[in-house]
Amino acid sequence: MKGFFALLLWLAAPALYATEQAGTIFKQLAPSLYQIRLIDKASGEKSSIGSGFQITADGLIATNYHVISGFAQYPNKYQIQYLDHQGNKGDLTLASVDVINDLALVKRNIDQDMPFFTIADNSPTKGEELFSLGNPHDLGMIVVPGTYNGLKKESFIDKIHFTGSVNSGMSGGPVVNKDTQVVGINVATSGNQIGFLVPHDKLATLFNHYQDSPPASIEEQMAEQLSAYQKALIDKLLESKWQGKVLGKSLIPTIDVPFIRCWGESNSDKTDALILSAMANCALDEDTFIDHNFFTGTVEMQFQYMETDKISPLKFYQLYQRQVTRAAAGNKATKDDVTEFECHHDIVMPLNQSINNKSILCTRNYKKFPALFDVLYLGLSVDRERQALISHFTVSGVEKEMALAFTKRFMESVSWK
Amino acid sequence: MEIIIEEISKGHKLIGRHKYAQSSVHIGRGYHNDIIVSDPHVCAEHLTIDYDGEHWKINDLNSVNGSFIGQGKQAANGHIVNSGDVISIGNSQIRLIFPNHPVDTSIPFSAFESLINLARHPLVVIASIVLFALATGWLTFLENAKEVNFTQLLVPAIKLTLAFCIWPSIIALISHLTKNDARVLHQIGICFIFFLLLMVTDAIQALTYFNTSSNWPVAWFVNLLPIVLAFCMFWLNCYVGFHMSKARRITAAASLTILFFGGSALLQMSKRPEFNPRPQYNATILPPAYLISSSSSVDDFIKDADKLFEKAQKKANDEK
Repeated sequence: MKGFFALLLWLAAPALYATEQAGTIFKQLAPSLYQIRLIDKASGEKSSIGSGFQITADGLIATNYHVISGFAQYPNKYQIQYLDHQGNKGDLTLASVDVINDLALVKRNIDQDMPFFTIADNSPTKGEELFSLGNPHDLGMIVVPGTYNGLKKESFIDKIHFTGSVNSGMSGGPVVNKDTQVVGINVATSGNQIGFLVPHDKLATLFNHYQDSPPASIEEQMAEQLSAYQKALIDKLLESKWQGKVLGKSLIPTIDVPFIRCWGESNSDKTDALILSAMANCALDEDTFIDHNFFTGTVEMQFQYMETDKISPLKFYQLYQRQVTRAAAGNKATKDDVTEFECHHDIVMPLNQSINNKSILCTRNYKKFPALFDVLYLGLSVDRERQALISHFTVSGVEKEMALAFTKRFMESVSWK
Repeated sequence: MEIIIEEISKGHKLIGRHKYAQSSVHIGRGYHNDIIVSDPHVCAEHLTIDYDGEHWKINDLNSVNGSFIGQGKQAANGHIVNSGDVISIGNSQIRLIFPNHPVDTSIPFSAFESLINLARHPLVVIASIVLFALATGWLTFLENAKEVNFTQLLVPAIKLTLAFCIWPSIIALISHLTKNDARVLHQIGICFIFFLLLMVTDAIQALTYFNTSSNWPVAWFVNLLPIVLAFCMFWLNCYVGFHMSKARRITAAASLTILFFGGSALLQMSKRPEFNPRPQYNATILPPAYLISSSSSVDDFIKDADKLFEKAQKKANDEK
């Protein structure tokens, strides 16, 4: 009996210790923790909420870019406000953003120095216990314990995989180790107990840049970041190995990088179908949030192989054409963000003469970031009577040179087997 | 001297034509008159037209509503008649013509007339209708992604053919109602020949779009083909169905074409969203056998694409 109690105590102890620790951490850090809210000036009500935490004694607060994106896009429509642990409210100004890593710095005017969070120097070790702080669903500040599970592998932009409940509203809240140093920032969730954090070094970089030279204009800063990002991403894609993969009687490219993932589907089970069709879809698993209706930074490639031995070429091509009349952009954007698409089409054969395509290229320009474009390509094979290959890609938020280089590489990588 | 008197209805239609050799013609509602006009506004003894050895003269018999020259207000009483004069009595009109009145030169039968008559030949009419039904059936078959049997194709083909009979029938009905010859077979024959021609232009359009790149603005000209054809069809509809001057026929055909194409363009424009997030491109593709044009190289395509980016950038600047 005595042994059993001892066992139970031993089991309960770490849990008890963790709760106690969380309590202490929260008490210590509460004054530097805020709810960040975007107030719609016309209605006077909050239109979105998130969390934030102070990182300097003089009132610089870190949060997610997506929490304050409305203000970054429409500064006349919104006002950024904080709500501290005692229920005091006050206005904030936008100091700097990192739109790629989803970070923002906002500034509060204070009279005297205040306690603040320190940013960790080193990454946590795998399995280390961390504490996520934030204000989920406007329910008040809470602490969620969880575990560091390393960086997400299938991601071009570094993200920490955190095992713990990150809920909406906790966005922008800090994640600290037991020494109360910030090791990450809550950014997203992927269902039960799977959370994603922005690594601390991204915040450190943004903060150091801000101290060296604060940005002259947020829009220009964003334009620079988006340009640098698309260059890094497309360069990486073009540098990587493009492997030929068999799809039906065609060869399609797959890019050998972990952050582009592929899925497939076919109708081979339907024996009565007039056309046999097999599809492969490879896409970047992440995008860049600019506004609730404006996303960018997507890369998607889609291939569909079709063949028939049941119908005439004319009917086959008629049905084939129906598959390709309604291609859509890979990202969401509105009239304020982009122009309408301009398109060009031609019959194109690569130098190796391995395929003859009707190629269609469409592009639209960003209104706030004039160097960037969304691009959509459709290649329709027209050289085989009863076999067809649709090769399609969309890339968003790229500069002309990168887009053209990618298009050329893509067009030359598609062929018949 | 003889005189010819034409009775003309309120709608300017010729009701009757009479020739008189006597020196006095009586006109009125009473049954003792030479010309009996059943118009309640015409008096029983309305007027006489008398020959004095040299001239014909109008003599109004103190009628209640009077007699006037032409459409005007000038009283006709005592008027010396010239050949071709129109006299208004009540709501009716009469036209007075002398035997030596000049007439237009006769029009010889043209090849065009015989072509139009060919269109009404029962064999031609049946052949064009059957061809049209077969073509629509075949197009339905091409569009259908599932296997279909003959009846499934026949029913929509018949439905569509009947629907396309409506237009020539309406034209025939209108010409019948306006006291012209209905000429139903003519109208049906002509319309179906043109419907078939319109199908051919569809094929030409597909072939052009497939074979030309967007560097060739020529492709737009093929869009004019159906408009020209429709104009010709409407013109022929008018030619066959109605007696009208050349200018009026062209105006009528042009108005119908504008109404038809302008209307559908307007309808499409009203449906167009303020901002379209989807690209609008021409994805016309046909089997390799229909590919006549040579292929460009990837580098040429990239060069063209370069211009496309500039176009998009210009658009963004314009919209700012």
